[in-house]
Order: sequence, then C-alpha cells, then structure tokens
Amino acid sequence: MSGDAPYLTSRAGILLLAPLVILLLLFFVYPLLFTLWNSVYEGGLTVRAYEELFTSTLFYKVLRTTFVISFTATAVSLLLGYPVALHISRQPPGRRVIYLTLVMLPFWTSILVKSFALTVLLGYSGIINQMLGSISGGQLNIPMVFNRFGAIIGMINYLLPFMILSILGSLLAQDPNLARAAEVMGAGRFRIFRKVTLPLSMPGVMAGVIINFTLSIGMYITPALLGGRQDMMIANLIDFYTRQTLDWPVASAIAVVLLAISGILVAILGKVRGSQGTMGAAA
Amino acid sequence: MMDLMSQNTKGQSPAMTSPAPMRDTKEPAKMMIEVQNLTKQYSDFRALDHVSLSVRKGEFVTLLGPSGSGKSTLLNLISGMTAPTSGTITIDGTDATNMPTNKRGLGMVFQNYALMPHMTVFQNIAFPLQVRKISKEEIRRRVMDVLKLVQLEHVADRRPRALSGGQQQRISLARCIVYNPSIILMDEPLGALDKKLREDMQLEIKRLHAELGVTMLYVTHDQDEALTMSDRIVLMRNGRIEQQGSPAALYFEPETVFSADFIGSSNLFSGKLKTVDGSKALQIDGAALSVPQAQSASFADGSDAVLLVRPENVRVGGQGAASAEHNSIVATVKDTLVLGGVVRHFLTLKGGVEVIAQDLNQPGMALPSRGSEVQITWRNEDARLLPADPSFSKKQV
Repeated sequence: MSGDAPYLTSRAGILLLAPLVILLLLFFVYPLLFTLWNSVYEGGLTVRAYEELFTSTLFYKVLRTTFVISFTATAVSLLLGYPVALHISRQPPGRRVIYLTLVMLPFWTSILVKSFALTVLLGYSGIINQMLGSISGGQLNIPMVFNRFGAIIGMINYLLPFMILSILGSLLAQDPNLARAAEVMGAGRFRIFRKVTLPLSMPGVMAGVIINFTLSIGMYITPALLGGRQDMMIANLIDFYTRQTLDWPVASAIAVVLLAISGILVAILGKVRGSQGTMGAAA
Repeated sequence: MMDLMSQNTKGQSPAMTSPAPMRDTKEPAKMMIEVQNLTKQYSDFRALDHVSLSVRKGEFVTLLGPSGSGKSTLLNLISGMTAPTSGTITIDGTDATNMPTNKRGLGMVFQNYALMPHMTVFQNIAFPLQVRKISKEEIRRRVMDVLKLVQLEHVADRRPRALSGGQQQRISLARCIVYNPSIILMDEPLGALDKKLREDMQLEIKRLHAELGVTMLYVTHDQDEALTMSDRIVLMRNGRIEQQGSPAALYFEPETVFSADFIGSSNLFSGKLKTVDGSKALQIDGAALSVPQAQSASFADGSDAVLLVRPENVRVGGQGAASAEHNSIVATVKDTLVLGGVVRHFLTLKGGVEVIAQDLNQPGMALPSRGSEVQITWRNEDARLLPADPSFSKKQV
C-alpha cells in the first residue's frame, strides 16, 4: 500500500529530514572534511604528513598494537558474549528482562568511572590481589592493570554489551520451531546448535564483531588509563600529536588512516555478513 | 465403509473395523500411540485434563477443536516438546513419557513449515538422514526419490524462501517422510495456505497417507479438513475429549450440543420436554416440536433438552400435517441465499426461533419471496435429541 501511494509528499519528507541532515552536516561531515583538509594543507597542498607517518616506526608499532589489542578484545568478547546471549535467549521473557538489565548496567555507566573502578578491583593493592595475597601469605600478586591485560579487560568490559545485544537479537529472531523440527527429526543438542542455531545467528555475530572491532580500534580512555606504556593505541597517538608535538597535520593524517581502515574492515565484514544475512536475517 | 467406521465408536474391537491398509496382517490392531490420563497443568490453567487416546497403526486421526481446547498441547506432549504433569505416553509399545524428543522417532509437520532458511531444499531434506548417519549416495538417492514423490524435483537447489507456501509445505512433508517415521504429527499444516491450495494439499496428504501406510496424528481447527481427511476425529473442548468417532459418526450422531454445533451447520432448538398424549414433545418458544421417541426415552419428563436438525434435512414448502414421524410447522422467510450448488433459506418460527434450511439448487427452482409464510418439515429420524448444556451458548448465525 505504501509502495504505490506514499503517505508523505517528497517536500514533507525533505522538511522532516532537514534537522537531522543539518545536524550531521554541521557536526559530522564538516569536522570530517576539516580533518581531511588539515591532513593535506599546510599553507599549500602537501602529503608531508602522510610521508612522515608512513616512514615512522612509531606509527607502525602503534598500528600493530592497536590491531592486536582490538582483535584480542573482540575475540574474547565474542567467546564470552555468545554463551551469555544464548543463555538469555532461552529464558522466559520475565527473567530475560532482568538478565538484560544486568548486561546493560555497565553500558549505562561512564567509561571513565568503569576504568577507575577496574583499577580498584584489579590494582596492585586491589581487591583481587589482596585476596590472593591473604591466601598465599603475601607471595602472590598478579599485575593486572597498567599493562596490556588491563587494557583488554577494560575494553571487554565496555564491548561486551554490544556483542551480547547483537547476538541476542539474531538468536531471538530465530523461529523456535526450527530447533524443534530438528529435534523431532532426531538431532541432538550439539548438532542443533552447530547446524541450525549457530549458522542462523551469524548475522548477529558479524554485526557484533564489526561493532566491537571498530569501537576497539578507536578506543582512547581505557587503554590510556588501564594500559601500560607499551599499549599506546592509535587514538592515543593522535592525542600525542595533537597535544604534545602540536603537529595537527600528522594527527589529522592518522585520523584519516584510522577512518579508512575502519571503513575497509566494515566493508569486508559486511560482505561476509551480507552472504549470511540473506540466509537467516529474517528467519 | 461409512457403516463400518461408525460402528467403531460403539465399542467394537478396533481390529475388526480397522480402515487403514495394513502391511503387517499378523498385528492388525497394533497401537502406535497410547496416551493415558494425560494432564498438563500450567500455573493457572489446565491445558489438558486426564485425556486417554489410542491411535492404531496406519490410522489417520485428527484432533479437532477450537483454540485453547488442548489439541496442540496434546500433540506437543506426544512429540516430547512439553512434559506432562501426570499420565503416560506410549509410542510403538515403548513408554515414552519421559523420553527426549529426538529419541521418539517421530515425524512432524509444522504450520509455518519450519524449513531451515540457511539450507537448500536438498540440504533440508537430507538433514534427518545425516542425523541417521546414512551414506552420501544413499542420501542423494532418497532425497531425489522423495522430491519426485511430492513432484518438486526441480527445486532441489533452491532455498525454501524462494518457494511458494504450498511448495514449502510439500518440502516439509518430504523432509518428514524421507526417513520413514512410523508416526507423523501434523500441527495445522495447512493453516497458512489459501483455500484452493489447502484442498489440493488435503488430497496430497491423503494420498501420501494411503501410499505410505503411516500413522498420522493431525491437528486442525477446521472441521471441513477433519471431515475430509480423517479415519477418526477426536473432538476436543476445554482440555478434554468431547467425542470421538468416524467423520460420519460425528456428523450424524453427535452426542453433545457442542459436537453438534462444532461440526457441520445445525439448527439447535432448546426447550423443555413434556409428555403430550403419551409421547414426548419439545416445548420451545411459541411451538411444540415432536421428537424422535426412541431417543427421548432416556430423558425425564420436564428436563431441558436440545433438538438438532441439520439444515439439509429441513424441507421448505413441504405438505402434510405434523405426525409422530414428521414435524411440520409454519415459518416466515427472512432471506434466501443462492450459494452456487445449494440454496439456503433463513426462516423464523412464530415464537422468534430461527431456522436454517438448505436445498440443492436446481434450474428453474421457485424461490420463496422474502416475508412470505411457508410450511417447513423434517423427519424425526433425521433429528437428534441431545441433553441441554448450560455451559454452551450457541454462536449467532
């Protein structure tokens, strides 16, 4: 019905879209273009910033660190998040709401607060190390913050709700009769999971991975607060160029490279997701 | 055949009247499903209330009833997807009350087909065979055989979503029969299809049932479907079995007002039985109807009763006075509808009671004009006297 007789005239549509378009142009597109411009304009057009970047060992090191940390954080968050999402999807609606609230709780807390809370929990004289100390008689103290472990723990803490929610979405979208049908046909739980539940949840998994990874590679506060000196990530490097060396063109160039990498990743994963999506998205 | 089947309900040995083709003549009365005193209690609702039911090998049994009558609950209990509160389930001679679903060896067809959207048609049908660890060549052969059986060989490599509803349901049938389950459960399998397709599929399911000799337990709320397909109909109401028997038995010999009303269309006259001149008559608003005397013997004088007369047994414009064998009464024509093959008259008796009469349509047939008075008649042998059911209110026609 809406296909052959649109409810809105195109003029009304434009009017309704205008506020959002203006907002995006002003606070998203303009800064983006400004950054791009900044990276190539220093009194005249130049690729000096990019040259400096691509010949800098620091940049490559930070880039590698960023990828390793992001990949690890995303992978762990997937491994931890999938079983949680699966469990929540199998709860009756009432209990599901309670569990979802628990998942969302860290989501609603400021990332700054969470990071400091984690230092209290994981620090040298934090709760866990105090417990370990009292058990081992002061022998045992595991450094868990201001190193890569801390950075990754902090990131996972932030990333998990995104992973769980997107996987849960595609689990709940599955027709429960599919698993029942498989069961009647004689399939055991493991086979049902492997052949039905898992493949049909791939769109959610891919969405979760994309969100997690893109959030990870742009992460700033958490690695700064919980990571060690060796764990500088790209966002921290941008900060370094912006505030320490005041080399804005290079900072902008890094931002542009980061954006390009994110874009390429989303495009690649979106391809995978697309092929899976046609199979199960609307199931 | 009809006679044979209706006798079934009168307590004869099922072995003597078993209507389905038997492969194993030595055990003609083998019970494939036996359910005893099965109850399913949810916190505030009893979905199934001490139901006992047996299904013979090769039989086509339909669970019929309105929504909430317990028919789907019973099917889910038999499939093992829900656990009973009490009672036992025996499948093919083995106690299956607490057996996991995947060990019960059943086949099931769902209303929404439940085909795996991420698999091709071939992979869907191969799935139950892979579970059974059958070799690749054997799987290919059996899948193609069964696709031939449902006449859909050409869609093997398509995904289910690329098929029409009717095709999808045939694929889901194929997926079910490919592993030869001895029992197939069907949960409103034709509910999502349009009328024409539904009728085609009814024939197809009947054909497959006859060819494969499989035991079928079929759930529907559609009485036409139940009447067309079943060897036996189990009519359910409020978690209990209201009446069971052959389609003919349920249609011609309903035992309760609910059965009479649910199956077929019906005129139900409520009133009090009174003895006049030695024979009982039903006193309704503004008229006294004579009733089948043999049936009325079990009713006390002055008791509430309901007289069932099917519309096709009511003659309009007939002659003759009322007698012990006939009812003849004056009615006013409210409306007459010509519905293709049949003509349906809507009439009112003097006291305001409404009557429907149905005739076969014939060329040149004279139709009574609206508002005219006509004589309507029916034979008492076509009527049925039923005990009044205070919990039942007839739905408005």
